[in-house]
Amino acid sequence: MMLKRREKLSILAFALLVVFAVAPVSNAMHIMEGYLPVTHCVLWMVVCLPFLVLGLVNIKKVLRDDRRTLMVLALTGAFVFVLSSLKIPSVTGSCSHMTGTGLGAILFGPCVTSILGVIVLLFQAVLLAHGGLTTLGANCFSMAIAGPILAYAVYKLCCKMNVNKKVTVFLAAFLGDMFTYCVTSVQLAAAYPSEVGGFGASLVKFLGIFAATQIPLAVIEGILTVVIVIALETYAKNELRSLSF
Amino acid sequence: MEWKKEKQSEKDAVLEVRDLHFSYNDEKHALNGVDVKIYEGEKIAVLGSNGAGKSTFFLSINGVLKPHAGEVIYRGEKITKKRLNHLRKNVGIVFQDADNQIIASTVMSEVAFGPMNLKLPREEVLRRVDKALDYMNITEFRDRPPHYLSGGEKKRVSIADIIAMESEVIIFDEPTAALDPLNAQMLEEVLRKMGEEGRTILISTHDVDFAYRWAERVLVFHQGKIIADDTPLRVFHQEELLKKANLRHPMLYDVCEILKKKGIIPDGEMYPKNMEEFRTMTDHL
Amino acid sequence: MNICMLIFLFCLAVCMFAHGSWKGRGRRGGGFGHRHGGSMLSVDYFAYASALRKWNAVFKAVFATACLLLCIILNNIYVSILVILVMGYLTVVIGGMSFRQYLSMMLVPVVFLLLGSVAIAAGFSMEPAGQYQLRVFGLFYIYCSDASLLRAAELVLKALGAVSSLYMLTLTTPLGELITVLRKAHVPKVLVELMHMIYRYIFIMLDTHSRMKNSAESRLGYVDFKTSCYSFGQVASNLLIVSLKRGNAYYNALESRCYDGELRFLEEEKPVQGRQIALAAGFVILLFCVWLLGKYMN
Repeated sequence: MMLKRREKLSILAFALLVVFAVAPVSNAMHIMEGYLPVTHCVLWMVVCLPFLVLGLVNIKKVLRDDRRTLMVLALTGAFVFVLSSLKIPSVTGSCSHMTGTGLGAILFGPCVTSILGVIVLLFQAVLLAHGGLTTLGANCFSMAIAGPILAYAVYKLCCKMNVNKKVTVFLAAFLGDMFTYCVTSVQLAAAYPSEVGGFGASLVKFLGIFAATQIPLAVIEGILTVVIVIALETYAKNELRSLSF
Repeated sequence: MEWKKEKQSEKDAVLEVRDLHFSYNDEKHALNGVDVKIYEGEKIAVLGSNGAGKSTFFLSINGVLKPHAGEVIYRGEKITKKRLNHLRKNVGIVFQDADNQIIASTVMSEVAFGPMNLKLPREEVLRRVDKALDYMNITEFRDRPPHYLSGGEKKRVSIADIIAMESEVIIFDEPTAALDPLNAQMLEEVLRKMGEEGRTILISTHDVDFAYRWAERVLVFHQGKIIADDTPLRVFHQEELLKKANLRHPMLYDVCEILKKKGIIPDGEMYPKNMEEFRTMTDHL
Repeated sequence: MNICMLIFLFCLAVCMFAHGSWKGRGRRGGGFGHRHGGSMLSVDYFAYASALRKWNAVFKAVFATACLLLCIILNNIYVSILVILVMGYLTVVIGGMSFRQYLSMMLVPVVFLLLGSVAIAAGFSMEPAGQYQLRVFGLFYIYCSDASLLRAAELVLKALGAVSSLYMLTLTTPLGELITVLRKAHVPKVLVELMHMIYRYIFIMLDTHSRMKNSAESRLGYVDFKTSCYSFGQVASNLLIVSLKRGNAYYNALESRCYDGELRFLEEEKPVQGRQIALAAGFVILLFCVWLLGKYMN
């Protein structure tokens, strides 16, 4: 009996080892289809609703003034999707993706990002199999609402405090990503509290396990966002003006 | 010349442009006083270097760009803001880059986009789509998405787009750019077919050989103005003009000039436009 | 409870396999038309190639959503397995997709599944708990209980059932048709139009991007990590600039064909067969029966 238990223990240890070895392959923090109970799916969708309505009203107002803006919106939406579908450079040679939330928030503000975000998330679920339909609400809240709002707030705050531009952009993108990861962990922990220790213990577990993939990703995303924003500000001041809604 | 005779009968002008001015961002004038009349069934080549105003001219006579001064008259009716769609419906543009033009996610709904905007009944839209696809020989692509088509196939779709609109005047903006020889040949075949049907066609191009063999009339743009409006032969006779507009002689034209200088063929108004004509001419020698 | 362990190990094996098969994604498969290297999305490609594309999109959407929701709501291992099998059958056998490709698609969310399930299956505490435990640095225990393993296994199957339902829809229905379904479901017009345009521009941008990337690569833009980051950022920002500049041309082209602020697309009407509805309804009822049976047995 004792031997059997030890056997199982070694299997468990091996499992954990493998998990951490493959961890960097992970995509961004999309909660996959079918992973949340129905009540949570509905709850997060309802939470998203007011933000989306706000974004929609905002977009409609912009469109009434100039119909051509629709094209700009569509192009930026497609851009965020394409960006999130590209393999980003990484040290380990694995494949991971940007979320683009920080970039979106810095360029277009949180209102427009929420609308573009929900479309991009839907497209990611359908075309890339990242995320899902029932988890759209939860993913939308963490990636298209919470992350961008924090990134935008950090960006504005740092701008006001005259922090170096590169540091500002890095912090906005990095913290936006980290916040997204925290919110996702909260969402998962709320859905699956631990037997011992309940929500708190479960949250620590999710934060701990996903930290392996998400912290390096957030750093890389921060760096890439800096490169992109600096390049845009150098070469495309005029085009950027058409983006500030 | 023939078209000059037609010019006298004012009623036949499909499209007339009077003193058209247009500028982007109030800086340089893209169009600087353009006057031209286009008649039914004409085959017009529009020449001129990049930035001479060809594309701006096309977008203006299609009603997408609103001229800052001057007027566009379609079939004797001055186009006002309210009648822009009337102009857009009757003057169709096939854009240079098919990817810029294609918007829908299947070939069928792409070709149907124009007719749908005309708010035609569904049966009529379907009839036009089938006809246009058949015309361009792409019925088999009907349900395919544009992003899995090749460049030449996309070009055909973009032409079918305009055929489905049943526009009276069809404009091609540099259609042969980025086409492989086979697709370029296909395009000329389509143009020949359209010509036989008596459609009015305007084509902007940098290919003087093509303009020489295909067109009945040539417009030369230079710095937002039309500096020449004549038959191809007469345009290519004017050395000064060609120099100004950065154009060269067509190959066959030069060949004939050399043969004439050497006395191999007699002087005179004999200028073959294509290989076929050249062959019959040399047969008589 | 060895079954749970087996399932867990199976997931691991699958994950290792995913490592290898992931990279080749999208390269396989005979094709129609013309494709540019690296600039395509496999799901979209499969959707256009599927034989199930002929089916009515609204019907597929309703059926897939129903199965998906039942999987999540009923939360029953047998229901999940049944859904996985039937959806796989529809997509692979009737839709004509190769099994290898289907499997590689099923593996896309596997890392999330695995990490998430480990978090649920394993716990930590100061004292030994559960049936299996591992002492870490003599500080605390990582433990696993039969109940938590079962919970994780249930969740894995449930999620895979939901994913297979989603795939039945997305691997057989081009996105353009799905957007039409959303329009019929009265999603705001602005969103629907944005989606249509975004769908089209994604492919133009992927194309442009692959050309830019090749040109950067040909000039050694990706030799090491630092240069890669720089090149990635440059290419990305350039992509946005170029696209925005083209935006005006796109709009002009729309206007030249009488666009007046509302995108009208001709939608093909694919009829639903009565037999399809009957079979779908039958399957949904069967799922309920399996669930009831499971409840009764317990």
